[in-house]
Amino acid sequence: MIEKKPKGEPQGPPKLGDPGEHPLSVLLFSWMRSTLFFRILMALLAALGVFLIAYEIVFLYRGHSGIENLPGFFGVFGFIAFGLAVLSGWPLGKLMRRPEDYYDTTSGEAGDDR
Amino acid sequence: MTVDRLIDILATINPGFFVIAAALLAAVAKDVVLRAIALIGGPAIALVVLLYPPVAGIEVSKQTFLGYSLAFYRPDSLSLIFGFGFVLAAALGGIYSLHRRDRMQDAAGLVYAGSAMGAVFAGDMISLVVFAELATITSAVLVFATRTAPAYRAGLRYLAIQMIAGLMLTAGVAMYGVAQGTFLLAELGGLWNGVLVGIFDLSQPGALLILGGIGVKAAFPLVHNWLTDAYPNTTETGGVVMSPYTTTLAVYVLARGFAGLEWLVWIGAIMTVYPVFFAVMENDLKKVLAYSTNNQIGFMVCAVGIGTPLALNGAAAHAVAHMIFKGLLFMAMGAVQMRLGTTKATDLGGLHRTMPYTTIACLIGAASISALPFFAGYSSKAMIMTAAEGGPGLFVIWLMLLFASAGVLEHSGIKIPFFAFFSHDSGKRPQEAPFNMLLAMGLSAVICMSIGMSPHWFYQLMPFRDQALEYLALDLFSPSHIVQQLELLCFAVLAFMVLKWLKLYPAERPGVILDAEWLWRKALPSLGRSLARPASAPGRAISALSNSTVARVVALARNVFATGGVVSRKVPLAATAVWTLAILGLVVAVSLFS
Repeated sequence: MIEKKPKGEPQGPPKLGDPGEHPLSVLLFSWMRSTLFFRILMALLAALGVFLIAYEIVFLYRGHSGIENLPGFFGVFGFIAFGLAVLSGWPLGKLMRRPEDYYDTTSGEAGDDR
Repeated sequence: MTVDRLIDILATINPGFFVIAAALLAAVAKDVVLRAIALIGGPAIALVVLLYPPVAGIEVSKQTFLGYSLAFYRPDSLSLIFGFGFVLAAALGGIYSLHRRDRMQDAAGLVYAGSAMGAVFAGDMISLVVFAELATITSAVLVFATRTAPAYRAGLRYLAIQMIAGLMLTAGVAMYGVAQGTFLLAELGGLWNGVLVGIFDLSQPGALLILGGIGVKAAFPLVHNWLTDAYPNTTETGGVVMSPYTTTLAVYVLARGFAGLEWLVWIGAIMTVYPVFFAVMENDLKKVLAYSTNNQIGFMVCAVGIGTPLALNGAAAHAVAHMIFKGLLFMAMGAVQMRLGTTKATDLGGLHRTMPYTTIACLIGAASISALPFFAGYSSKAMIMTAAEGGPGLFVIWLMLLFASAGVLEHSGIKIPFFAFFSHDSGKRPQEAPFNMLLAMGLSAVICMSIGMSPHWFYQLMPFRDQALEYLALDLFSPSHIVQQLELLCFAVLAFMVLKWLKLYPAERPGVILDAEWLWRKALPSLGRSLARPASAPGRAISALSNSTVARVVALARNVFATGGVVSRKVPLAATAVWTLAILGLVVAVSLFS
């Protein structure tokens, strides 16, 4: 159900604690709306990543051959694979995205033969 | 009659029949209590029967049909784990659907679930095909149940493709069974490590047809678009009910019939990779989930192809875990669809403000499918990854699966919850989902966490139980496994944040993404029209000639018989008498000289 805003009210995203906002949502998720959240989370993830690689080097690396046994392999692979998957969305989207009603037309150009 | 005696009797019946019988009640039940009894009671009875199975590997309730032996019920460790998953999915789907008073969907959903269950417990190929096709027909009803023109068209396409697959499967089974002189699964192949798997011999043409039919149902590459076409066109409950069965049943048949087939390793690996790219571009989050299903089924198909006990355990475990966590994600999207009428990312965002319980459920589903340690996907997929990593000559396959694991995190772990519940604030403030939906989501989330945190009970259900328990004891929660998986996910999330920070993450945009379906939805009709054009000119000429001839005949008849026409014109009485005499004379002359 979409609540319409009364006329005259300023437009834009509703502020924290809007009427109708669930108390559990405020409790669990409101801290994520801070402008610093993004940077803090990124720094925490980077720190966790460094810790995991360090842990791998110190406690788990046994000098086995094979690229998959190198410390940090999974991290580097995950970063590159994720980046590749996402960045592929730019060229592939341009190449393969068509209007919503593409399959409802006979010519291929949406709206041409309606 | 004691309870034990009753259970003994019930335990000789294929559990799928109880769920199908419940559909009869659901078809007529208007009252919410009766609906609840049908939707939850049917699967509950089936679950009780599953808890007291007859001796594994023994055919129960055998019949003879056209001289061939049929076995309606043959439980073993492979069918029990799949059946257990189907029962859970049916019960959770039933709870989730309680708010929606649609008897057609209730009944179709139960027959669909019961048929899938019946198929995994069937002891012969004929029963298996009959159950599988019943599941196909009833699943199409769930697409039609949306009652919109696009859903109707999608339902017809779904039905057409599934019918082609069904015909291939039926023909293959007939050819294979006749060639072998039996349709009983137990007589088609021997036990391998105590389990009946890999029974079909691909040198027989019938087996190839069976593989083709099952390949369509498993959504192999290029024939996968029935999945991405039908699922987004379901109702908010239809998607949840539809998601667990058809593809999972196909994985079961592949494991039973084609375990260890090398083709499947490559087919499965390709299935895991390409949906990642489509899911990145897709705007409709239910369609993203359909691509995600394709990707996850790929892991299972690949594991079936590897064919070791560890890999087959992984395929079965992931099939069941996937039913639960993918069902959970469909439930979350269903709640959004119900409240806002759309699941398009461009129309959503910020819904956590008013739907916190649904958000939490979605996050647990996302963590599970991403294989975050201590969530369901980790416990199930780890066996597949280990089997691929340790398999000879499987390094490239393992890398493909690893890439797909990062891709899963992108489309199902991040994209689904982020764009629906966080991201930019769409300003929409929908109500939280109804209680029954929240209950189903809560139970699914508990099962996901239970499989992830305390998987001992789950591993005991595996087809190769000893190997599963050994893996659980030595490998699953080993520090190296946990650290490697955390590292993969941590850096993948970091990549997401860096791309967002640099504004390199592609914005969601409306539109359809071209896929293999373009061939039969666009190219083939265009080709047909082009080929028909030369033939249409003579056709038009013949049509014009026949039309003008008919028009002339009609005009002539009107001139003769219409009011004011020749025969109705007023003429003098004498002339009439003369004409009468002339005709009479003509008749007399003809009769005299003939």
